[in-house]
Amino acid sequence: MASAALLIGAITHARKEWEDLSSFLTLKEFPSGTREDFIQNCKNGDYDDVVAIYRSNASTKFTGPFNAEMLSVLPSSLKYICHNGAGYDNVDVDACTQKGIAVSSTPVAVNNATADVGIFLMIGALRQAYVPLTSIREGQWLGKSTLGRDPQGKVLGILGMGGIGREMANRAKAFGMNIQYHNRSRLSPELEGDSTYVSFDELLATSDVLSLNLALNESTRHIIGEKEFGKMKDGIVIVNTARGALINEKALVAAVDSGKVLSAGLDVYENEPVVESGLINNPRVMLLPHIGTMTYETQKDMELLVLNNLRSAVEKGKMITLVPEQKSAFQGMNGTS
Amino acid sequence: MSANEFLQHCKQGNFNHVVGLYRTNSTKETGPFDKELILSLPDLLKYIGLNVAGYDGMDISACTERSIRISNTPNVVANATADVVMFLLLGAMRHAMIPLWKEEAPLGHDPHGKTLGISGMGAIGQALAHRARAFGLRIIYHNRSRLPNDKEGSATYVTFDKLLRSSDILSLNLPATPNTRHTISQPQFKVMKDGVVVINTARGSLIDEAALVDALNSGKVLSAGLDVYEDEPRVHPGLISNGRVMLLPHIGTTTIETKREMELLALRNLEHALDQGELLTPIREQS
Repeated sequence: MASAALLIGAITHARKEWEDLSSFLTLKEFPSGTREDFIQNCKNGDYDDVVAIYRSNASTKFTGPFNAEMLSVLPSSLKYICHNGAGYDNVDVDACTQKGIAVSSTPVAVNNATADVGIFLMIGALRQAYVPLTSIREGQWLGKSTLGRDPQGKVLGILGMGGIGREMANRAKAFGMNIQYHNRSRLSPELEGDSTYVSFDELLATSDVLSLNLALNESTRHIIGEKEFGKMKDGIVIVNTARGALINEKALVAAVDSGKVLSAGLDVYENEPVVESGLINNPRVMLLPHIGTMTYETQKDMELLVLNNLRSAVEKGKMITLVPEQKSAFQGMNGTS
Repeated sequence: MSANEFLQHCKQGNFNHVVGLYRTNSTKETGPFDKELILSLPDLLKYIGLNVAGYDGMDISACTERSIRISNTPNVVANATADVVMFLLLGAMRHAMIPLWKEEAPLGHDPHGKTLGISGMGAIGQALAHRARAFGLRIIYHNRSRLPNDKEGSATYVTFDKLLRSSDILSLNLPATPNTRHTISQPQFKVMKDGVVVINTARGSLIDEAALVDALNSGKVLSAGLDVYEDEPRVHPGLISNGRVMLLPHIGTTTIETKREMELLALRNLEHALDQGELLTPIREQS
């Protein structure tokens, strides 16, 4: 019996490349449904020949998170989970590692699009652009618009200086901003460029704009809360395009209401698609419904990267973009060579 | 003050000792600075320090005939205006105005790898090019004259026709004059790429607004980002009702920092002119 690959959710832009895999894999699909349906299929043995899963970005909606419960019913043949998304907080990577399942994500492909949205939200928040954007459509021209702020000469603090953070820095420099960052470890000089590495506390205390560009995990959950807002400059602008739960959303609402935070630009929320009413009702805040990577070009690149991971894993036993937490556990499995 | 009151004050000689005039975008208070008003301005008046970058609607030749020298605030508006261009460009490419949860919102487009055409490569056009490069955009431009190498950078000079034909995104950054009125109208839309994105932060009169609405409705223009309109504060209903279009009510320079810089520059022009008989940033027509 040939090995199989299972697609959970949909492939929109690289459907042909998925179908091409049928030359050496049986292709199975779970396009939509509930977690109960999916678990039942697993228990029925429908996926017993599956070695690799393509997990679409929307698949969590159907199956729920890949946590310990889910991993206990997935077929024992499963060796690779190829996730479509830069963030993979809905996959329990430690549990996967214990079961010998390698996980890949889609870093790099998302960098430009996410940084574009970060800059859009930053300018929108500095200008408090939601007020004029809505007043003109309501026939009131400037309405209650107030003067905004220029990015020129201000300090942008980037928390998490991976691929997205560095693209954010590149763009922000062109707006005349000075860049400082905090990261688990300081970057090499060539990656760091003319950005300044600072401690987490210094980042909080000296940034005019703070952009979150780090991954969500147990140690970064609520990394920005009431205590951290207290250390920031009055009138700071907050940008979050990473994950909602990095910020304690209720503490953010309080900080925006008190004026501590001048405005915010948000693409992600703690409890999507629910958004705190204190954010919805505050016209100083720019809100987007998690569209960071929602472009034709980037969606296609992400789908192709997932498929390339899947093909390389099955054919050569190597993941192209293995998640970093597994790099020591799966030595030799990482990379294209 | 109303337009008529201001004219009466002038005619009654209430401003007869005035040699320098500081003017914001004050058309609401004084009416346009047309020939009638300019001929009524006090005889001693020699300098007008404008606190604006664009001065269309003002009768410059009437001022020149009366030997009134005028300054504007060109360079200090460049950064703020270019910021708004990038905001509108990103918003228009992402259809960011469509207030739906993502499942229903259409996918947007990435600027990375696309061609941005800039019409008018003055200080604002150059500030825009600088920003746009950081987003992976390729820059082509048209201008009355080609820029020197050091200002041109990696931007490519092309004819106006080539600019229209080759741009994935077209940004207007030129002044409004009788010559540039309706620079973009039906024949120009016709030669553009299908799905072009049009950005205007300069002056509404540069684009034939009704032709733009037609081009949006036909799909020729995918989306647009506009900060200026032909008949402000009126906006064409075909723009208001179109969710793909990003609309702002002429806020290009409305930041605390830039407004202050503009005020200071207008005042420094007057100060310098009264001290030394020369404006710092005279308008192009008089320099």
